[in-house]
Amino acid sequence: MKSPALSVQLAPHNKKGLLLSNPVMAASGTFGYGTEYAEVVDIQRLGAIICKGTTLKPRPGNPQPRLWETAGGVLNSIGMENIGIDALIREKAPLWAGWKVPVIVNILGESIEDYGKLAKRLDKASGVSGIEVNISCPNVSAGGMEFGANPKSAAEVTAAVKAKTTLPVIVKLSPNVTDITEIACAVEAAGADAISLINTLRGMAIDTKSRKPVLGNVCGGLSGPAIKPVALYMVYQVARAVKVPIIGCGGIATASDALEFIMAGASAVQVGTAIFTNPCTPLDILEGIERFMKKEGIRNLTELIGAAL
Amino acid sequence: MKLVNAPIISNTEVLPNIYLLQARAPEIARLAQPGQYVMVRCGEGYDMPLRRPLAIHRISKDGIFLFYTVVGRGTAWLSQRESGERVDMFGPLGKGFEIYPSSSNLLLVAGGVGIAPLLALAERAIDSGLKVRLVIGEKNAAKIYPERLLPPGIKPVITTEDGSLGQKGMVTDILPQFIAQADQVFVCGPLPMYQAISKTGKKLKNKPTQVLLETVMGCGVGACLSCSIETRQGRKLVCKDGPVFEFGDILWDKIAAPACSGRC
Repeated sequence: MKSPALSVQLAPHNKKGLLLSNPVMAASGTFGYGTEYAEVVDIQRLGAIICKGTTLKPRPGNPQPRLWETAGGVLNSIGMENIGIDALIREKAPLWAGWKVPVIVNILGESIEDYGKLAKRLDKASGVSGIEVNISCPNVSAGGMEFGANPKSAAEVTAAVKAKTTLPVIVKLSPNVTDITEIACAVEAAGADAISLINTLRGMAIDTKSRKPVLGNVCGGLSGPAIKPVALYMVYQVARAVKVPIIGCGGIATASDALEFIMAGASAVQVGTAIFTNPCTPLDILEGIERFMKKEGIRNLTELIGAAL
Repeated sequence: MKLVNAPIISNTEVLPNIYLLQARAPEIARLAQPGQYVMVRCGEGYDMPLRRPLAIHRISKDGIFLFYTVVGRGTAWLSQRESGERVDMFGPLGKGFEIYPSSSNLLLVAGGVGIAPLLALAERAIDSGLKVRLVIGEKNAAKIYPERLLPPGIKPVITTEDGSLGQKGMVTDILPQFIAQADQVFVCGPLPMYQAISKTGKKLKNKPTQVLLETVMGCGVGACLSCSIETRQGRKLVCKDGPVFEFGDILWDKIAAPACSGRC
């Protein structure tokens, strides 16, 4: 049997489109700007890379400590440290222009106008294949999750970005809401080409010796295998509510995890925390999906998308 | 950097709660510089998502040694691995110590298990024909690095807080005796030791001093920004720009204790 077809189109209604050679992406914040792991990972084989969340101005991020391991999970409160959009366009995007793997830029604003400005800056940048709109970061005081917590502001941010760019626009949703389908429907109606979910769940840890919170910023975002069932169910719910492609994210560490998300309705998946455990995880997952398809006699990945709905 | 599933040659408790692990990893040994570290995967599957950053203790032709304290469930798991088993290592990572071409006398100052990266440096320096003075400070004699494990040619000066071995007091007390002869100083130990040195900084002022920092790390390659700290040279990543820094570049009154937990 010949190799199964793994390519996916994540922005079918966008003129530029967002065609991935396979559905396995590296999640924002875990893979830097794509170059960091290049000595040990053949990054060009990835479906896509989502770069570190980027703001208009450089940000120093939150106080230390910023990272803490929990049972099967990781709490982080990086606080959006990043080099800012100017340095990204000047120093990083030109590298990406020569890459086979598409790079998607994750953006975060403190105001709705910020998101529009960021989108405008990226619109003509060569090397940028798409934008992921972060309305779900739990670790910043202004912006981020604040916009993703209600359908109206989520839609406004989406519309502001769409108005300033012809690039495909993915909106990344927060799980820290009462009804995620409401937000998903709102951003779809506002023009999102695709939806990615979930960002991290808010959590904390306490150092019993010092009797104080472990993280410098008290609260962090929980990721890793511990959150997988939560993420999976949210993908399942959103898949029943929207028509745009969905990118599943949250605790994916194995091909079987990825296949669950695909069967729950995701057209692609993002791998994040598991990259820290093993940098080769995304490519191992890709090979595992391929093996599964061959074994099950599946010719095209699309046959599996939403199979469990 | 390499990802290696390295066979364990030995892994024994050489001091209470402190282990010496020798692994066959020629790919890492070939590239390793003193002061660099490896990220070790702990536990089965994805139960412990974060690798543990451990200093390279000694470098041989076909492998590396790690000298680590059991401080949590990851290192507890590692301590139970036996020879013949394999351990997944990612490295060598980070920027190691730098010996200047003009230096001929080196002063190495270890606080507790801070000896871990300094032994590799001592061996490298002796192999290059340099003179090395190694000073080790500990709480008591029972915690002092076993003499039988020291590479030939290294005779450390020892201080203990209770005076049970060597000179009584803190390692920082006896530094003034050795500073004058040293061309370069290298320190590794707990944060209070660094802070004590920084307070008596005038005594070190004219000596170029390098320090090794430790922190919780996510990636080890500068991708996740978990270990970012503010320094006199701007923001730096302990994982990639360090773990070795110029002593004077670190803002000792600002650095958070758990970001530099003193366990190297």
